[in-house]
Amino acid sequence: MRAARWLIAVAIAVGLCWRFPLFHAIPLKTAVAEKAAAAFDPAEFAGTFWTNQLLPSLTKAVNSETLLPAIQADAAAAKTNYSRSVGMGGSYFYFLSGTGRVVAVSDDEVSLAINDSSTNKEVALQTGLVFGNALRDGTGLLNVNDYPNSQDFNAISEALNHIVETRVLPQLHNQAKVGAKIYFTGCAEVDDESSDLKPLKVIPIQTEPR
Amino acid sequence: MHTTQMKIMKSNWLKMALACLVTMAAMLFTQGALAQPAPKQKIAVIISTLNNPWFVVLGETAKARAVELGYDATIFDSQNDTAKEAANFENVIASGYKAILFNPTDANGSIANVLKAKAAGIPVFCIDREINSTNAATAQMLSDSYSGCVKLGQYFVKTVGKEGEYAELLGIVGDNNTWNRSKGFHSVVDRYPGLKMVAQQSAEFDRAKGLEVMESILQAHPDIKAIFCGNDAMALGAYQALVTAGKADQVKLFGFDGADDAVKLIAEGKMAATGMQFPKTMARQSAEFADAYIKGKRDFPQKVPVLVELVTKDNVDKYGDYGKK
Repeated sequence: MRAARWLIAVAIAVGLCWRFPLFHAIPLKTAVAEKAAAAFDPAEFAGTFWTNQLLPSLTKAVNSETLLPAIQADAAAAKTNYSRSVGMGGSYFYFLSGTGRVVAVSDDEVSLAINDSSTNKEVALQTGLVFGNALRDGTGLLNVNDYPNSQDFNAISEALNHIVETRVLPQLHNQAKVGAKIYFTGCAEVDDESSDLKPLKVIPIQTEPR
Repeated sequence: MHTTQMKIMKSNWLKMALACLVTMAAMLFTQGALAQPAPKQKIAVIISTLNNPWFVVLGETAKARAVELGYDATIFDSQNDTAKEAANFENVIASGYKAILFNPTDANGSIANVLKAKAAGIPVFCIDREINSTNAATAQMLSDSYSGCVKLGQYFVKTVGKEGEYAELLGIVGDNNTWNRSKGFHSVVDRYPGLKMVAQQSAEFDRAKGLEVMESILQAHPDIKAIFCGNDAMALGAYQALVTAGKADQVKLFGFDGADDAVKLIAEGKMAATGMQFPKTMARQSAEFADAYIKGKRDFPQKVPVLVELVTKDNVDKYGDYGKK
């Protein structure tokens, strides 16, 4: 009688464990694959973002023929009217486009004069290694609040910078001859107004010969 | 006058006098009660560790701003221990605090604590350190460590050169700031193949551990040209190790935080650079957010990145006292 009770109890316990298992055994390979699938892939994200969001938004960039005279006339007013900033702090970004004449070429910069009658370096397209968040933060298309882990958000910057280095700069190097006219769209970060506004240091997103 | 009438009048007079006394006593009592100030509402400041002057400044500034805004504020020290942090939260939730200004110990491990406070109707405002959730804290004021360390990395290449061996001291491995700083720095420095990192170890954002770890690194790698530290406390420990080894003049030292002692070393030419975070700005803002919440505001940005500025020998005179002069 007692043995029968034990058997019933064990059978019930086994049944419960079968219906509501205390743990699941998953093959290690499956677990690793699932984790990798759930992980954020910044390169893939940046590639999709570049094609589907960034390039279609280039028409929203402020024209350099409007922006540069505005900065020269009143940098504070230009900042209010045309820049965007992220969080708290002094740095801000311009998202701009325009056509300029190449007045100088170095290892790290292609310098443009925007005004036809000028030979001043008004815009310096950055052609060396690309660092920082100008592309990620300059257009306003990406928002830090959409990323629970800021490491993912920062990884987007590196992936976007890599696209500039591999897709945009090789073309620009071919176009950059003194005297040539180049149409550009890009982002500039202004951290120190005394050095970053003249010339405006622009990381190019797209360039075309004109 | 009839004797009976006189007795009645006397009795009435006594009754009136008694009524007046009772009324006056009641008025005095009521006035006393009205004059008693209502108890102040309480704000808790929970800090990851007070064993680092930078975090002491963060906590004390948050507390001072909360007091300025009319609250009773208390600082709780989590001693870099998530269990102690959990106990601090339990205590705060049970004690009727209206808001928590919070410097987390762990980006993932601290989320549960914040969610507990949220479930209890207490808003949490993270300061300096992030938690990996956008629906737990009411807002997070975060130093933009990544951008700050991109600038540090660029200055590192400019001053150290494009070749040579260097070492890195990491902070607490469970903290996002540790990796945002390291990754920002490496996003630049790793592009120069001649710069070789020969050692990378955690000293847990701690000065004593910074000294200890750097002593062993210097023994194994005596030819390093530079050291990058994820915070100034570790950099100051590393500096002591360099002095003891007689290498303080040969090895360039880079930190992060903007601690007063580090800024002084930069001014004396004994340290190359640091990233100035603005702990006072973040701490004050968190207290002001809490005050606004208590007064009814509900729409806060989830994350507020706070700019980090590069401090070098060229601009060091503009900085001090954990911020810009």
